[in-house]
Amino acid sequence: MRLTVLYDEQCGLCRRARDWLLGQPMRVEMELLAAGSPAARSRYGAIPWIGQDLVVVADDGRVWRDGSAFLVCLWATHRYRKFSQTLSGTAFKPVATAFFSTISKRRREISSIFDDECTTCVG
Amino acid sequence: MNATGWGVLVYLVYMAVAVGLTYWLARTLFRAGGVFLESVFEGRRELGDAVNRLLVTGFYMLNLGYALYLVRSEPQSNAFEAMQFLVNRFAVLLVTLGLIHFVNVFVFWRIRSRHEQSTTPIAPQAILVDSQE
Repeated sequence: MRLTVLYDEQCGLCRRARDWLLGQPMRVEMELLAAGSPAARSRYGAIPWIGQDLVVVADDGRVWRDGSAFLVCLWATHRYRKFSQTLSGTAFKPVATAFFSTISKRRREISSIFDDECTTCVG
Repeated sequence: MNATGWGVLVYLVYMAVAVGLTYWLARTLFRAGGVFLESVFEGRRELGDAVNRLLVTGFYMLNLGYALYLVRSEPQSNAFEAMQFLVNRFAVLLVTLGLIHFVNVFVFWRIRSRHEQSTTPIAPQAILVDSQE
């Protein structure tokens, strides 16, 4: 199995998250692709959420977005697979997805707290 | 050699071979199983080693216990009877060890397939019809 993660390259928080993910020992082969890149547009142009939400695409065509996509990213790592499975259980799933979803929606604001330069940000 | 003499000899040969065989099988199982479990318990080496050790310990107990249980020799009066007894016991022992061994392999296989079933924890929101990869 192989995962492609489409992240918002215009947000500092997302770039930080990407770097963090790149530093993690992975359990699943993972490619991190900027959502605005030509490669992302040509390969995954059919997916409506690209650029707005975090999107994870598996090589078998399964697509996760937003909160679920965060959980799949965690699941792909060595260290946080179990944690991800816990968060995805019935008890935590609504909270966990809502949590990641909120962070994702406010990513620009959070990025500005970190003072990450954001030259092409719109809104 | 008298009857008791044959009986003692049979016991000695049987014990030597049974213990040797069990040891060799357990070593094989431990080594091959270790490689196997390493791939299953990636990143959790100690856990893999522990499982392996527990399985091999069980294998030892079961095999040695069974091998000892098998020898209920009557005094053999001649070499032919002694041989017959030995061959018969070894046959039973080997068949049983083989069965136990396959049970062990099955356990390993189950552990492995369980591991491979560990699929993504959350259902996808969409599925691309013509996946481009």
